[in-house]
Amino acid sequence: MELLNFLIMLWAGWLVWRRPEREHLAFALVVASFVLMALLFLVGTRGSLVPGVNL
Amino acid sequence: MRLSEGQLRTVLAWLVMVLLVVPVGGALWLGVAHGESPCILCWAQRASMVLMALVALLVVRYGPRPRYLGMLLLLVGWGMFMALRHSGLHLARDVGQGFAGTILGAHTYVWAWVIHWAVLLVAGVLLLLVRGPLAASASLEPGRAGRVAMGLLVVMAGANAAQAFASTGPPPFIGQSDPVRLSLDPRHWVWSMDAWRGPVSWRGSWAIPAPDPAAADPDPAHGPLVALPTLDVLRWEEVTASLDGRLTGLAMHHTAAADGEAFGGADRVLAVTDRRGIQVLDGAMARVLHRVVPDRGYSIDLSPLAGATFVGGDTMAVLATNKSYILLRPDLGADAAREWRHFRETDGTMAEVRRGRFATVRARQMYALALAYDPAGDELITVSVPSPRHRRLVVSRFDRGDLTLASEFLPRLGPGLERRDAERGLGDYLVTGADVADGHLYAISAAYSTILVVDLASRTLTAAYAVPGLSDPVGLAVRGQELLVAQGDGRIAVLPRPTRAAPGDTRPVAD
Repeated sequence: MELLNFLIMLWAGWLVWRRPEREHLAFALVVASFVLMALLFLVGTRGSLVPGVNL
Repeated sequence: MRLSEGQLRTVLAWLVMVLLVVPVGGALWLGVAHGESPCILCWAQRASMVLMALVALLVVRYGPRPRYLGMLLLLVGWGMFMALRHSGLHLARDVGQGFAGTILGAHTYVWAWVIHWAVLLVAGVLLLLVRGPLAASASLEPGRAGRVAMGLLVVMAGANAAQAFASTGPPPFIGQSDPVRLSLDPRHWVWSMDAWRGPVSWRGSWAIPAPDPAAADPDPAHGPLVALPTLDVLRWEEVTASLDGRLTGLAMHHTAAADGEAFGGADRVLAVTDRRGIQVLDGAMARVLHRVVPDRGYSIDLSPLAGATFVGGDTMAVLATNKSYILLRPDLGADAAREWRHFRETDGTMAEVRRGRFATVRARQMYALALAYDPAGDELITVSVPSPRHRRLVVSRFDRGDLTLASEFLPRLGPGLERRDAERGLGDYLVTGADVADGHLYAISAAYSTILVVDLASRTLTAAYAVPGLSDPVGLAVRGQELLVAQGDGRIAVLPRPTRAAPGDTRPVAD
């Protein structure tokens, strides 16, 4: 899944660099990558927002 | 100093290059040169850094539009959360311990925290320096620095994608908690789906429900040990003194004990209740001699009180289910002004000596409902109750001097004791009361109404006895050759204390 995320970033970076007229698509890819990154982190913590601590 | 929008873009382009070369490039270098692979949480933090660089390049290319600034704030906020959450797994470990390697003395997940902070600070400074209002402007040429930064981002994203392919595999394979070192040899690649599995909880492994002895199965025939002898109740006694709630723990100071001269040589009973009442009763349990209700919110949090014991002299200890404790002492001249901070209610005849927390190792993430005192070792003893995370029975011993863990053990099964099947064990018991006499720990389990006898020297469960007829046992005390098992309703079952603590041998000690 991390591979997919970096490929999305690679695509977005390419658009900004070589296809600047595709601004909306580039930004949409950034948002999608952010959401995927956040989800992958939560998968890694099994949804737990806190480590082993008392609240 | 003021920045024009064009200058802002140039500065941003250089900052993007720094961000990509130093932390992101450094992480790649760690992988290529040292074989160090990121864990699943590290991957997300590295992705956050690349995304921050990407957002900065959007500004370089299209100008500081509000949505880009909004995206940067989200990235920085989530990135700092990720770094703190990740670091929180390791920060409190023992000295020098952590996960994977260090850079300048700090582990990489700590650096992720620093980097996200730095991005926030730099972004704030740059915005302070911008001349005039931020306005969406037409796309501008990014300049040489901007183009280099964009090319560098593409290269870095591609390099990370290549490392991710080797380290984590194509979707749906996902990053790992304990990744193996990076290798270009496919035979060494580990592609895993493990992270997709496992229980999901926003609270994580610390979500341990409070114990509920009343819900335990009291039938001894269903217990984890088979063919147990029975201890019959000799008679019933009762706490006739007016308590302020339902009994949750009980201890006895007996004049036959080694320090029998305490309390003027008289028997005393220490009772705690579900309304956090701590009461010292006379030996007949007919009169309340001293009473306090501690302030649970003062300093150390006291969860419901569940255990009690006399700890030598006239000092008493009370245990809360979260293994916090209070030491108390009768004091007819107690300073009312000083004790006001400790007690919600008091009759003015008790003083708090100390309040603290027992720190266990094997009994972490487990509550304790039983407290005992071993005069031979001068140690306080707690017995854990099982939790959904750890189903085991742990005896923890704390030195009376510094109240710090001295030793811990999981009792072994002695000869003659057999488990019902391989899935059952001592962790099925739910000990609610305990006391020590003659080197043995006597404990009562509310689950399966069973008396457990543990030899403290050999750390062995030497005997166990079924006690039919009990209902909600909450405490146990040794009184000479008798065991007193207190129930929540204030009734006390009097049992013979087994002689040699051996299976089948129920002769009183005096025989």
